[in-house]
Amino acid sequence: MQIAKLGLLAGLSLGALVAATPAQAQEGVTVTVWSIDGANQVGPSDTFSAEFDEMDNGINVEYRILQFDEIVNETLRAYATGNAPDIVSLDNPDFALFSSRGAFLDITEMAAESDVINPEVYFEGPLNSVSWDGKLYGVGKYTDTIGVFYNKDMFAEAGIENPPQTWAEFEEYARMLAKPDQGVYGATLSARGNEEGTFQFLPVIQMSGGGYENVNTEGARDWLSMVKGMIDDGVLSQDVLSLGQWDSTGTFNSGNAAMAISGPWEIDRMVEDADFDWGVTLLPTFGEGDERSSALGGFNLGIMSTTEHPEEAFKVLEYFVSQDDRLFPEFGYLPTRSDVELPMSGIEKKDAALAVFQEQLQYAQPRGPHPEWQKISKAIFDAEQAALTGQMTPDEALTQAQATIDTIID
Amino acid sequence: MRRILSSITDGKGFDLILVGVTMLFLFALAGIPLVYNVVMSFQQVDMFNLNTFSRPFAGLENYIAIVSQPEFWLVIRNTAIFVFGSIAGQFIFGFALAIFFMMSFPFASTIRGLFLVSWVMPGLVVGALWGWILAGDFGVLNAILRGLGVIDGTMFWKSDPNLSIWAVTIANIWLGLAFNMMLLSVGLAGIPRDLYEAAELDGANGWQRFTTITLPMMRSTIGAVLALGLIYTLQQFDLFPAITEGGPANSSNVAQYWAWQWSFQLFDFAKGATVSVMMLIFVLVASIVYVRSTRHEVRG
Repeated sequence: MQIAKLGLLAGLSLGALVAATPAQAQEGVTVTVWSIDGANQVGPSDTFSAEFDEMDNGINVEYRILQFDEIVNETLRAYATGNAPDIVSLDNPDFALFSSRGAFLDITEMAAESDVINPEVYFEGPLNSVSWDGKLYGVGKYTDTIGVFYNKDMFAEAGIENPPQTWAEFEEYARMLAKPDQGVYGATLSARGNEEGTFQFLPVIQMSGGGYENVNTEGARDWLSMVKGMIDDGVLSQDVLSLGQWDSTGTFNSGNAAMAISGPWEIDRMVEDADFDWGVTLLPTFGEGDERSSALGGFNLGIMSTTEHPEEAFKVLEYFVSQDDRLFPEFGYLPTRSDVELPMSGIEKKDAALAVFQEQLQYAQPRGPHPEWQKISKAIFDAEQAALTGQMTPDEALTQAQATIDTIID
Repeated sequence: MRRILSSITDGKGFDLILVGVTMLFLFALAGIPLVYNVVMSFQQVDMFNLNTFSRPFAGLENYIAIVSQPEFWLVIRNTAIFVFGSIAGQFIFGFALAIFFMMSFPFASTIRGLFLVSWVMPGLVVGALWGWILAGDFGVLNAILRGLGVIDGTMFWKSDPNLSIWAVTIANIWLGLAFNMMLLSVGLAGIPRDLYEAAELDGANGWQRFTTITLPMMRSTIGAVLALGLIYTLQQFDLFPAITEGGPANSSNVAQYWAWQWSFQLFDFAKGATVSVMMLIFVLVASIVYVRSTRHEVRG
């Protein structure tokens, strides 16, 4: 008994020694990075983390892949229990939840002294989404936006020369192009009851003079009536209420819809799947020459304020930013800055589409930033769905959303 | 000393240990979270005080806020439809199947066993399957209904606010059908055959035999099945994210999914807790019914 106990103790202490040795010998600092890159396909954060980890600079990078649905929850929980990572990558509307409460590190001064990170070259939208109260809390990782994909073959067949430039044209063309007997809809979009719904509907509110704090605009009401009418007449599938953007655009790719509102993440699949000629145009406006708007998507990178190694974490961040010119050629993502040249891919449709989306990005506006964005977003997509299903008139739905939003903003 | 020891290995002490361990287990894994949840519903909770107990006291604010949400009554209505629709469907079809399989025909018990496949499958898988079946433009159910000539156009099961809660209810009926059938089969098997034979000799027809023998003899089983059905239905969560996500416009949102949305999509943990406390009260009532209906089984 005694001997066994002693043996166990000896074994334990030996094990502890062995385990402790490398940590003492190395003296390196470990920076943990969390992101969704690598969950479905290889992305920038996982690749750059591995590269930085292999460099002999005394800083190790530990990378963890999280799923899109759980990264905010997981980060919240980790932050609450004091186990937060050093760097985390979040969807841009979720960023303010953390930055507004000081959970992200204020990097305004570090960026001012940095040779790599220069806030001035970033597009306004992505920059706003990492800023709070005039301070900088992170950098945009990559960005995206939405426009209108259209089936050029169907347009030619119907004798329509140019893609729609106003919402009135959008409706007119969709009604001309719909062929219910052949299962072809005039257009498709996503009015799903989650962030995707808000992502596509908020630009409409913005271009009609509103914003997330002021949603009940005349344009938004008209737009909802227009889309409702198109659903009622079978020009749009009623399933736009439950389909996400990826599935909705799938129906466009298979030739079951003549137009689709979606973003650049569709391009590669469309090049593969669509056996017709297609193009992209900017999101329509209400009148010719009216104010433009579009959604701003994409992820940001920030350093958590609880980090024990802010300087090392900032070096990792600098390395990520220094690799921005690889985002598009290697991963198909658009950088959030204006000073990165995008090389041509040589695929004609892809390059043409890309040029449109780059132009569209100039009009992209962030969602928020607001610490309770998720609640505001729910009010907006709930209103859109209530109006499109006919449960409420557009005015009732938007008035109710406005009342909910007012209680959140005050 | 020896008496205590022997009592522990074989006697009252042993019984006490068994009960004690169970109680401890229940207290740690069910009691503490339950109380914690109730406490949270009276507090203001955000990410900064998530890890501490000392949060600002909110009184009934959370409850008032929940009840005054525009979708509150819609969620209550949907929960009622989902719960009673599911239980009624599962029970009626389950009972019919159970009686059907009591008849002796070749492979009766094998086929009955196969029905359990639906019960064994994880809710998310069932949800994904039914998501495809119920899809609007390319769904299997619509194709079948159109083929049979029942409908002309397209039924948008997942996107039509009048259909969406029924879409999830149909999937849940399918999911719980086998469980109901199994429990009811056990109850049916426990009824002595000679009762039926005697009744038949006295000239009772099928319907009379069912109402005067089967139903009264099954009373406790039926009570248990209904109460368990209520509890399982209120726990049913997986089907909602997989089929409708509570939409469109909350037309298929139910209390359990709503509670999850508050906590994990809107990050308002206190309001999520508030909705679950409201549900807890309801489940408590159901549990009392269940315990009462099974009580005389224990007492013999």
